[in-house]
Amino acid sequence: MSSGERCAVVGIGQTHHRKRRDDVSIPGLVREAALRALDDAEMTFADVDALVIGKAPDAFEGIIQPELFLADALGAAGKPMLRVHTAGSVGGSTFIVGAHLVQSRIHQRVLAISWEKQSEGNAQWGLAGGRSRGIGAGGAFAPWIRAYIERSGAPEYIGWQVAVKDRLNALRNPYAHLQLADISIDRVRESPMLWDPLRFLESCPSSDGACAVVLTDEAGGRRAARPPAWVEATSVRSELGMFPGRDPVRPQAGVECAHDVYRQAGIGDPRREIDVAEIYVPFSWYEPMWLEGHDIAGPGEGWRMVDDGITEMGGAFPVNPSGGVLSSNPIGASGMLRFAEAALQVRGLAGEHQIDGARTALAQAYGGAAQYFAMGVLRSEPR
Amino acid sequence: MSDAPKQDLVMAHLVSLRYEEPLSRILDRFVDGLMEGRILGHRCPACRRVYVPAKGYCPLCVVETTEADEVEVADTGVVTGFTIITPVAYYGQEETEPFVYASVLLDGSDANLGGQDIVGIPHDQVRAGLRVRAVWRPPAERSAEGITNRGWGSVGSAIDAFTPTDEPDAPPEQYAEHLF
Amino acid sequence: MAATDIAVIGFAQTPAERRAEGNEVQLLVPTVSAALAMAGLDRREVGFTCAGSCDYLTGGPFAFVQNLEAAGAWPPIEESHVEMDGAWALYEAWVRLQHGDIDTALVFGSGKSSPADPAALWPQQLDPYTLAPLGVDPVSLAALQARSLIHRGLATERDFAEVAVRSRRAALANPHAQVRGEADVEALLAEPYVRDPLRRHDLPPISDGAVAVVLARGDRAQALCARPAWIRGIDHRIEVHQPGMRDLTESPSTTLAAERAGYDGGPLDVAELSAVFSPQEGILRRALALPEGTDANPSGGPLAANPVMATGLVRIAEVAARIIDGRADRGLAHATGGQLLQHNLVCLMEGR
Repeated sequence: MSSGERCAVVGIGQTHHRKRRDDVSIPGLVREAALRALDDAEMTFADVDALVIGKAPDAFEGIIQPELFLADALGAAGKPMLRVHTAGSVGGSTFIVGAHLVQSRIHQRVLAISWEKQSEGNAQWGLAGGRSRGIGAGGAFAPWIRAYIERSGAPEYIGWQVAVKDRLNALRNPYAHLQLADISIDRVRESPMLWDPLRFLESCPSSDGACAVVLTDEAGGRRAARPPAWVEATSVRSELGMFPGRDPVRPQAGVECAHDVYRQAGIGDPRREIDVAEIYVPFSWYEPMWLEGHDIAGPGEGWRMVDDGITEMGGAFPVNPSGGVLSSNPIGASGMLRFAEAALQVRGLAGEHQIDGARTALAQAYGGAAQYFAMGVLRSEPR
Repeated sequence: MSDAPKQDLVMAHLVSLRYEEPLSRILDRFVDGLMEGRILGHRCPACRRVYVPAKGYCPLCVVETTEADEVEVADTGVVTGFTIITPVAYYGQEETEPFVYASVLLDGSDANLGGQDIVGIPHDQVRAGLRVRAVWRPPAERSAEGITNRGWGSVGSAIDAFTPTDEPDAPPEQYAEHLF
Repeated sequence: MAATDIAVIGFAQTPAERRAEGNEVQLLVPTVSAALAMAGLDRREVGFTCAGSCDYLTGGPFAFVQNLEAAGAWPPIEESHVEMDGAWALYEAWVRLQHGDIDTALVFGSGKSSPADPAALWPQQLDPYTLAPLGVDPVSLAALQARSLIHRGLATERDFAEVAVRSRRAALANPHAQVRGEADVEALLAEPYVRDPLRRHDLPPISDGAVAVVLARGDRAQALCARPAWIRGIDHRIEVHQPGMRDLTESPSTTLAAERAGYDGGPLDVAELSAVFSPQEGILRRALALPEGTDANPSGGPLAANPVMATGLVRIAEVAARIIDGRADRGLAHATGGQLLQHNLVCLMEGR
């Protein structure tokens, strides 16, 4: 949505994402991100009008509707609280639900938080539906990646290139989980095969982590302590995961979601008018696939953008300067991290992984059988 | 505040939950068919597409389907997409060796059977377009194990896998739109 | 100032059953179709869809994804999902409609409580560090709440039984209800405790069910429905989770939500309250300051049918039904989430 009240991101917080955050309980993890976001916004919990919580399946931690017990830790008593659950895209749709509350003028200050503490449960077991012969996170996508490679004629090293790029970017992000200083094409190529053709080092880690954003109305954005990011466009689209005639490689819902945000943001040429993109790439090949799937690159051209170095931090269309999902994947938070990192870019607050002059950023999260999409455009100045 | 390291304050809480649900009438019929060596589906009365196993509705038309819409499909078909899974250990995992995870479009069906194993062919020769037939368990060994109301089209423990028929590969037009 | 020209114009629900024959999607498909038919809308005209359900209740991660098949999600739709009762899915849809760019929304809630044992399942909804390991089930928690009421002199076991009698009697007129009939207070009080001081009749049934509601805005609502049930206001508030930190005899979040929803304590033709346990009806009546004699739960309420994740949305549908068919001019629907009335939603509706 882009009509209604302007919505600004005035506070961003995230945890140090790790395989295991044994130093904090779940409330501790979530508060770490929330307090960082509130500090960034120079606010306290008392200033928050409403909360929106997002996370992936509760089976990952074994707690039903954990936001209910987190109410105590988040100062939520007496406030409205929503819990969004849209599979992998949930962090993105949580951000969007929060933005809607501001844009509709129902609330002025919304705290949106997404998280996952996978180390406290058994995500592999959860993903397998509690059964043997689970296909893990990547098994469902691998056949479609094969189809993309066949359709586009992409050389096999493209996936490895993305895997290296994102981990090198992560070295400039103090919050990122994977800090693989010795990452290289050889290391990726020689890592164990998980879901042919995806290898271990082409796949996201399993992380504990949380992300929080403080969303305010226009007045809140104008008087914010630090430069805000303006929410110029948001969109969600869903499609059936499995039906005769479906193209899971280039899902129609992803195409329509992208065009909806481009239209709202007045973007006619996404490749040229977007300065940086944070896109949900949990498996290396999804970078070229989403570049095409959101019409940033033409058919069969996504992998060429990777090959030509265009999506590197120094390139013309940097993708995932934060290191992306390939470097940190607390599943419930990963989608919100894309929106948060996009917002950091246009606020000029991305530190060592800042893209110079970034003023328009694209955020994207996807989930399910590549059937749920949540996308947004953030800008330094509202249109 | 305890002085103990945080790690020492971790407690394991194991929870076991049991979900019991009788198979829906439609899946019950499907299982009966499998026991007899037949694969049954429903044809949508509106768009005429065939779903195996039947869902009791066509997800594209959102109209209900019933036993009156029942059709039988062949136990042969084509692999439309696949990957080779390298199993990882986790609680409940029994697999230790890489296995094929393929979508199979049965002749006569419009929807795939997902998650099928392909045997009788080296993994590096498995390909989209491969013509296959079901490897049935002997009738006495067939069961409905693995089939639930929330399943994704499993043929449970009646068909263990699919194996090549040695026919020529199906042309891409036949399966290109049935990747998943 | 939130828009007040959003209305319920259609709805449908399954009869609540102890064990429904189909799976959750099979329950939803005809329900969604019937709600859209009542609203006079083709599913492709719907501007936004939102669903409420609970993966853990259904018994698998991502279980909600299958329910998308009831929403007609092809071609792609604008859609979302909350891991909450469908009443909150309606809230999200109401928020979305505020923007003014779309004028219809489809909402549904569903759940089958029959496959798992609620006493084993719902302890996992509690604080995992301090409460879940105790294994305390919803009935035991409700019993603690009931004991507090009795101890404070706010209610008696007879009061609880009378709620149950009224519920069952009212449910005789509700084709979707599961527990119905004429009952005698003395006979009920002679029954043994299930969890002192609660008896079987104080507890909700275990139900499978689904409900769908269609919202429309402004002129569209008036074009599609002769007498829309206008949402005057809707709000929800949560309280702290730890039962030991709350006064279980009160529901301040219900009071606050009602106030924010614009309920001024005036006369209501109907109130549908998610009093899942009989003692909770009294708590909610006091929290809402319902005028004496307000017809509460003419559907029978959750004591007659409790399809968890749909129960709250059913309350909204029941109030809307009575406004749309002219039996009521003003009604209030209440939904609850968590245990012991931790999270409460109030929806105030009026015919014009």
